[in-house]
Amino acid sequence: MARQTDLVPDDGGVSPAGAPAEQRALDRPWRLWASIIVAGALLVGALIGFVLIPAGQAGNANLSLYEAVCRALGIRSGSPAQVQPVSSAVSVPVSEVSWDPAVMRILAEGNSRRGAAIAAQTCASCHGDKGLSQSDVPALAGQSPYAIYKQLADYRSGARAHPQMTGVAKALSVPDLAAVSAYFAAASKEYAAIGARDLVSEVEIERLAREGNSRRRIPACLSCHLNGVGGPIETPVIIGQNDDYLLAQMNAYASGQRRNDVYGRMRDISAKLTPAERAALARYFQGTL
Amino acid sequence: MAIDEGAILKSELRWAMVVGGIVLVILSAILFAALSMHINPPSNREFADPKTLHTSDEFTEANLGTRVEPDGKVVARIIATQFNFVPDCIVVPAGRDVTLRFTTPDVIHGILVAGTNVNTMIVPGYVAQVHTRFTRTGDLMMPCHEYCGLGHSQMIATVRVVPPGAFRPAADGRIACGERRPA
Ligand SMILES: [Cu+2]
Repeated sequence: MARQTDLVPDDGGVSPAGAPAEQRALDRPWRLWASIIVAGALLVGALIGFVLIPAGQAGNANLSLYEAVCRALGIRSGSPAQVQPVSSAVSVPVSEVSWDPAVMRILAEGNSRRGAAIAAQTCASCHGDKGLSQSDVPALAGQSPYAIYKQLADYRSGARAHPQMTGVAKALSVPDLAAVSAYFAAASKEYAAIGARDLVSEVEIERLAREGNSRRRIPACLSCHLNGVGGPIETPVIIGQNDDYLLAQMNAYASGQRRNDVYGRMRDISAKLTPAERAALARYFQGTL
Repeated sequence: MAIDEGAILKSELRWAMVVGGIVLVILSAILFAALSMHINPPSNREFADPKTLHTSDEFTEANLGTRVEPDGKVVARIIATQFNFVPDCIVVPAGRDVTLRFTTPDVIHGILVAGTNVNTMIVPGYVAQVHTRFTRTGDLMMPCHEYCGLGHSQMIATVRVVPPGAFRPAADGRIACGERRPA
């Protein structure tokens, strides 16, 4: 402490404002001009930001000058730059599933014991015990509850159609769908215990799956189709899935026959893939069980 | 050694002028970009619920792409989503005012068309709107410029600027690149 006080110049404890009269006289014009310049800069800045730029923007955004200035000042925030005509397009949602809190709550409350009972009764005969299918019926184990719920709900609403599944899903209530989804999602732990799968593939296909192709604007399959990597929450895991099933789905997307993928992401990607690539990718993802 | 008070003042003045000059250059650059190129932060604030976009009025799948509104305005609506623009190609006329409207159901994306004033972030919950006028014809690249996940680098859209004569929308005012996706 003592050393610090030593460093302070001995001005008798007076602040700079209390400097000797001669220094104050020297400082006065500086203070004056500094204040004028700062105030001037603020004024010019305000003029540019609140008047000049909004004025330039006004014509471009179809606003009157007054409106543009008000918006810049934040007085009329929220007003759209241009009143948009309401779309006249017929709303044709491909899927009515939206991940709002109500649906999330249903899924969180999905009773997996009840789900197990429903699964044993209605799902197991085709999808296999615990969702481990042995045929071209898709395996359900290893999927997130969102992936399973999305497809069941789409079958129920008619966004996706299948000779058997449409009827099955329609016969179940929404809480039932959630229960089944919860059951299969929980079964994924046993699925994981089965062990790693060897991926069999060609280099080109492996690259497509892992890195995508920027020139063809094909994102990597694995940028979404793994649990928790990204993409829509409902994206299914496709590693280990049956190859006939995967190929059939890619072909159905490419032809537009299946279209419950929100915003057509899979329709777009599948159509960009050649038939040979689709088949190779299906084989790649099936891997070995 | 005591420094002369006058020398200190001169030095301060010089540095103040340097700083003032830099501020002036930056301000004039902002002003020039804003006035001559219409590059300014979007002041439009419009909300859109990201959870229900695909069942909303405006951003349903069927309503995306370029459309000439009944009042003659050219509006293109685009969804930025992981990891694709929907549609990934839009047609717009050269030399005419075009409004681009973007939104996203998932994460923050961004778009940019080099050489134009089209540059905005696309934030979930909001509609990003840009007014522009394309002058050069041809295919312009519109990449996602805000890292949005593993497929970010494949996220590129095309803006096909055609001469006004070649801009022929259908009876419903819609126009798309090539064939429309099977709907
Ligand atoms: Cu993106």
